[in-house]
Amino acid sequence: METILEITDLCVHFPGRGGAPVRAVDGVSLHIAPGETLGLVGESGCGKSTIANAAVGLLAPTSGRVVVAGTDIVGASPRLLREVRAQVQMVFQDPITSLNPRMTIGTAIGESLLVRGRAAGAALRARVGELLQEVGLRPDHADRYPHQFSGGQRQRVVIARALALRPALLVCDEAVSALDVSVRAQILNLLVALQARYGMAMLFVSHDLAVVRHVCDRVAVMYLGQLAEIAPRDALFASPRHPYTRALIAAVPDPDPAVQRARVSVPLVGEIPSPANPPPGCRFHTRCPVAVARCAVDVPALRSVGAAMVACHLA
Amino acid sequence: MRRISLGTALIFAGLLAFIVAAIGADVFASNDPLRQSLLLRLRPPGTATATAYFPLGTDDLGRDLLARILYGARASLMVAALSVSVSLLVGVTLGLMAGWFGGWVSIVAMRAVDTMLSIPAILLAVLTVAVLGPGFFNLVLVLGLTRWPRYTRVAYAQTLQVAALPYVRAAEMAGCGPGRILLRHVLPNIAGPLMVVATSEFGLMILFEASLSFLGLGIQPPYPSWGSIMSAGRQYVVRAWWLTAFPGACLFGVVLCVNLFGDWLRDRVDPRSQGR
Amino acid sequence: MIALSVRDLSLAIGRTNIVDAISFDVAPGEVLALVGESGCGKSVTAQAIMRLLPAAIRQTGGEITLGATSLSNLPARAMRDLRGRQIAMIFQEPQSALDPLATVGNQIAEALRQPLAKVRAEVRQMLVEVGISDPDRRIDQHPFELSGGMCQRVMIAIALIARPAVLIADEPTTALDVTIQAQILALLRRLAAERQTAVVLITHDMGVVADIADRVAVMYAGRVAETGPTAAVFATPAHPYTALLLASIPRLSDVPKSALAVIDGQVPQPADYGAGCRFAGRCPRADRRCVAETPALRPVADGRLVACFHPVGG
Ligand SMILES: Nc1ncnc2c1ncn2[C@@H]1O[C@H](COP(=O)(O)OP(=O)(O)OP(=O)(O)O)[C@@H](O)[C@H]1O
Ligand SMILES: Nc1ncnc2c1ncn2[C@@H]1O[C@H](COP(=O)(O)OP(=O)(O)OP(=O)(O)O)[C@@H](O)[C@H]1O
Ligand code: SF4
Ligand SMILES: [Mg+2]
Ligand SMILES: [Mg+2]
Repeated sequence: METILEITDLCVHFPGRGGAPVRAVDGVSLHIAPGETLGLVGESGCGKSTIANAAVGLLAPTSGRVVVAGTDIVGASPRLLREVRAQVQMVFQDPITSLNPRMTIGTAIGESLLVRGRAAGAALRARVGELLQEVGLRPDHADRYPHQFSGGQRQRVVIARALALRPALLVCDEAVSALDVSVRAQILNLLVALQARYGMAMLFVSHDLAVVRHVCDRVAVMYLGQLAEIAPRDALFASPRHPYTRALIAAVPDPDPAVQRARVSVPLVGEIPSPANPPPGCRFHTRCPVAVARCAVDVPALRSVGAAMVACHLA
Repeated sequence: MRRISLGTALIFAGLLAFIVAAIGADVFASNDPLRQSLLLRLRPPGTATATAYFPLGTDDLGRDLLARILYGARASLMVAALSVSVSLLVGVTLGLMAGWFGGWVSIVAMRAVDTMLSIPAILLAVLTVAVLGPGFFNLVLVLGLTRWPRYTRVAYAQTLQVAALPYVRAAEMAGCGPGRILLRHVLPNIAGPLMVVATSEFGLMILFEASLSFLGLGIQPPYPSWGSIMSAGRQYVVRAWWLTAFPGACLFGVVLCVNLFGDWLRDRVDPRSQGR
Repeated sequence: MIALSVRDLSLAIGRTNIVDAISFDVAPGEVLALVGESGCGKSVTAQAIMRLLPAAIRQTGGEITLGATSLSNLPARAMRDLRGRQIAMIFQEPQSALDPLATVGNQIAEALRQPLAKVRAEVRQMLVEVGISDPDRRIDQHPFELSGGMCQRVMIAIALIARPAVLIADEPTTALDVTIQAQILALLRRLAAERQTAVVLITHDMGVVADIADRVAVMYAGRVAETGPTAAVFATPAHPYTALLLASIPRLSDVPKSALAVIDGQVPQPADYGAGCRFAGRCPRADRRCVAETPALRPVADGRLVACFHPVGG
């Protein structure tokens, strides 16, 4: 099967305070086909950003393989990495710190084309103008600085910059989380439209399940550095197999009081354990409402259940 | 946008006066600072002869003190500006590289900084001048090459901070090499704090130049420097107070203005340090 | 009966108006949500009620009444006595709102202004009520030993132990994960009902509002756009902003990848608040009058008030 991103057995451990390493990502495998959008959801600190950064080579994994467009980027030379990055670009969470405050947005958007010798001078300006129009800004905005834009407009600039090289894969790490609620829909619509127009694949990282459901074809649910479940969108939301996925979906309050209050959801009990000291067996067993004795001992492997891959003994 | 207070205006006026005096020394001085006249030795301020007027009096060789102070200002400005430029270049380059590459580069650079900072600066300067010999260029070189560690420290810490920001990640993703990232993305965003350090170093350099010249290790006679004027006037403190008082007051005033300007700049650059 | 009443509260920084004549009431046992986007003035309103405004912000008008006591002219001392006992507040970042050097038990006892030794049983009982497991160990721990969710529970315990009539919760779950948020919201709802506490819940999440609020006040750019019973506001939003906002939120029930309703433009900054309706620049229903005149809150169906000349469906 052809893939644009293939991650195999990825482990990323950070040195932790007082000995035990933080096992931010611990044996995750996933792949994305060309043109497909994979959502990555999970609670704070479960390792979503770590995977996103490893996927674009901004972070060196402890072990595992990351293959982007046919090239293994783990341990790749800076030169090879630079070449691969023409295929994969990133949109970050915070539109304020994603743009150099001392650089006009035109320069920022055109930079990748310039340093790779793809365009210069008038041709570059024209291309930057096109990119600005694609994201709903005006070509004459190119000479402005980031502080002259609102958060939503800045995120458009960041998206234009990421599109400049026409990447085959766009990694969005919480791309709408920092935006005003009334501006979020603008950016979501833009991402969906651009993806359809250019057929890019996307790795869409978010903690917001409703947003992920809206833009993704398949969804991976993470818990404490591991995959709990990965499934096609409709299957995942219609019949979540992993108890954590079920809890996560149940915990998202529906912005409709009639629906929300009719739901009988039992909140999960307990706190999220530390990734420096994950529970043995199934990592979710300390909070799992259906856990059995075996869950505390045996690590559940990710296995096929219907259309989904699930890491649960009871699925 | 923001109104400038009277105090700030005074600081600017003082600095401007210093720079204008230094640059336009030939215009403002009516007498040649090197011309001696043994008949006009140690005349008090306000002395006038048939051909010349000495508003600040004359020195022990009968030279016009005003002219010598103006040309001395030029020496101060040039030494300070050039040595700050040299140390800024060396220090910032080292700091940027240490912050970006980390690893052994940063270990070596920061050890060098610690070592340099543990040697008293003036002692280091005196020793090097003693070896290289005095003179304008040696002075610039010595000050420039001994005063870089503070820039390195600041540049290093700031680079670490800025390099962690998403826009630097984006530049990496765009395919920029380390050179472009450091010059276009990091340097412009750490320039503010560096300018603050440079200003306070500028004040120090003026003092160092004066001190070394006072000790006879800086600008060499007959060329004037505030330090050497005061040094020469030292023996006549009682008889000819103006020889030490005027250059001393100039030195004090200029360094004070530079330092106050530095404080003002720091508040502008870093709003958190604003005491309000 | 009304536990807290805010009438025409206006706040300003220098000459810039940031909150403009907002009014709302909360009854005992009721949860009122104050919802709006970043910078619309939710937190400063809460601070004004607590009389804890930063020095830069002035109250330029309005009246705040707690039960039968008017807070506006209360001496600072009397206000200090009321805080904690009659009216309490919890914040978005629980970890930074707690004293890092004091134990959990001491901080809760502090709210009763009693030494921990004397009220230990009561404090322990409160920890149980806010759902902290192993209270006997937790009571002597420091905030850094607790997770974010537990810290927020401790904040709630501190706020509620003196049984205040009014609780103001400023984004109490924004920094928490959804599964933990669900726990905290359930807890707030239960305590409000059991103790008949009036709760003002500040949030920007319409889902949270739908989940626990009895009534909602939707704020936009320093004014109340619409207020009324939650069910009615969500079912038939009358203000164009509320309607568009609700339509622009992706839901678990909509068609994936369908175009979401969009509100053009961006949220105005206080310095740009002009005459007329502050939503006019982004509103598809705006006409010349909207730009010139300020719409007052006026009643529409189902006990709602709306500040719009051309309300949806009306
Ligand atoms: N550079 C680092 N050094 C040490 N620990 C790190 C580092 N980066 C991340 N971690 C830890 O790794 C874990 C996973 O972090 P990550 O940022 O991937 O989480 P996330 O799922 O993106 O969370 P969030 O939703 O909060 O962004 C966390 O426990 C985090 O504290
Ligand atoms: N201490 C302060 N000094 C100056 N301006 C302030 C201060 N606090 C708030 N403001 C301004 O007052 C306005 C309202 O701020 P407020 O904090 O109430 O917003 P909010 O609705 O709570 O937003 P958020 O959802 O981001 O918390 C904003 O424009 C803000 O910039
Ligand atoms: S394996 Fe057991 S503990 Fe883990 S999720 Fe499944 S049921 Fe829960
Ligand atoms: Mg993250
Ligand atoms: Mg707030």
